[in-house]
Amino acid sequence: MAESTVSISESSTSPFALFTLLGKAGNRFFGTLGGYGNVVWWMLRNARDARTYSRNIFQQMVQIGVDSIPIVIFVSTFVGMVTAVQSAYQLYDWIPRNVVGSLVIKSVLLELTPLLTALVLAGKVGATITAELGTMRVTEQIDALEALAFDPISFLITPRVLAGVVMFPVLIVFGDVVAAIGGLLGSVFVANISPEAFINGMKDSFEVYDAVFGIIKATMFGFMITSIACYQGFHVEGGSEGVGKATMNTVVLTCLAVVVMDFVLASVLL
Amino acid sequence: MIRLENIWKQFSGKQVLRGVSFDVRDKETLVVLGKSGGGKSVLLKMIIGLIKPDSGAIVVDGKDVTKMSYPELRALRFKFGFLFQGAALFDSMTVGENIALSLRRHTGYSNEEITERIEYALSIVGLENVTRVMPSSLSGGMKKRVGLARAIALTPRYVLYDEPTTGLDMETADGINLLINDLRTLLGVTSIVVTHDIHSAFVVGDRFAILDQGVTLMTGTREEIQNSDNEEVRKYINSAIG
Ligand SMILES: Nc1ncnc2c1ncn2[C@@H]1O[C@H](COP(=O)(O)OP(=O)(O)O)[C@@H](O)[C@H]1O
Ligand SMILES: [Mg+2]
Repeated sequence: MAESTVSISESSTSPFALFTLLGKAGNRFFGTLGGYGNVVWWMLRNARDARTYSRNIFQQMVQIGVDSIPIVIFVSTFVGMVTAVQSAYQLYDWIPRNVVGSLVIKSVLLELTPLLTALVLAGKVGATITAELGTMRVTEQIDALEALAFDPISFLITPRVLAGVVMFPVLIVFGDVVAAIGGLLGSVFVANISPEAFINGMKDSFEVYDAVFGIIKATMFGFMITSIACYQGFHVEGGSEGVGKATMNTVVLTCLAVVVMDFVLASVLL
Repeated sequence: MIRLENIWKQFSGKQVLRGVSFDVRDKETLVVLGKSGGGKSVLLKMIIGLIKPDSGAIVVDGKDVTKMSYPELRALRFKFGFLFQGAALFDSMTVGENIALSLRRHTGYSNEEITERIEYALSIVGLENVTRVMPSSLSGGMKKRVGLARAIALTPRYVLYDEPTTGLDMETADGINLLINDLRTLLGVTSIVVTHDIHSAFVVGDRFAILDQGVTLMTGTREEIQNSDNEEVRKYINSAIG
């Protein structure tokens, strides 16, 4: 644990104090969990300090949201196409072809777009955040912020997490639309299904709750990916080598967190 | 007035500081001398509460930093300017934005006043026409000057220098040493300079604290440490010069 953040993450009122103690006693797992909890706790407790984080939110929304649009288009198009092609392949000949449209819209909204987009963004957004904050840590820029009487969590972490929570749902709704178009393309050009059949099938099974479920997932994924990545970057130790290690840990941890959260939310909400 | 009393600190089992004590008197420049990895940067960061000692007290203007709440620490940090070893400029911002950041956040200055303040801080460190430059295109010596301009923008009472001349060529280093002395006369600040460069130390320092194996070997004026009978001090001075 980087010692230079003690003044913040050792706040004794935190509900994670027990974990932090276990961490001090040598339990790395609970120590990390406690440290992560402390950062999130601190962020929420200082949510009033908008003056510190508001100026960075827009820039982060651009970096996390707008800059991810190309990769979301790319991934969603292929997700839609492959879902259509595979659905068509799996259906018996006597099943009406518009079922393909139904299958595509269901699986895209509920599972495929949120999950796959989140996994791709775990790499792109998560790695970027950890590398950025990690570099700031090892070059003492985070210490410098604190020395200038800034709260580095409000200044660096809050805007990134807020941008993630806002932009992930936007990206995933956008990805849903692109994936539907991809499904149409795959159906028409590869699986030889008429556009009318596909669109009718899609209309028949579209349910608003499915899209809402995807948005709820996206919000959670956005929160988890950005907060884990920030925590990892914030606590980098050991120079540029440490930044590399932390970046890799972020990609692995956020992917694991996303698949676990995906299952939990499906179990609870469906 | 800053007083360190018997500071201990270990990092994951490694005992870095084992009872460091020294005083810094008002308006003087105290130089902390010691080998690389001896915990000098850690000491400086402790003074503004970035790192907490395992035990010991750090008293700044009568209050113990180690017992301060977070709001008190933030208030304390306004009294300090900190020049980090690599200058620690925010590399996503221009030079001007680096200096403006704390002015915008912590003062009610108008944009014109902020611009004036930036120019003033830069002029003190001997720079002009750099406000729009990105830190990555500055030389090492210029980075330190900008770092110093940023540190003094809010007119601190104390300035902490972490290895201000390390990694600079002789001429640039001399420039920084003169600047440290200028700041002291211009702004009347109390300074702590941490360094392993004994030549620089003698240019800027009034008094010296020698750190060795995690303890303060000796504190005193230049004459006092140069004429010391202490075997360890003599060895340290000779090895540092030689
Ligand atoms: N935040 C930290 N976490 C763990 N170890 C640290 C931390 N800061 C410093 N150290 C260790 O403390 C020792 C002293 O470091 P430092 O104060 O940077 O030495 P100096 O500035 O005298 O060269 C080093 O061994 C360093 O690895
Ligand atoms: Mg150092």
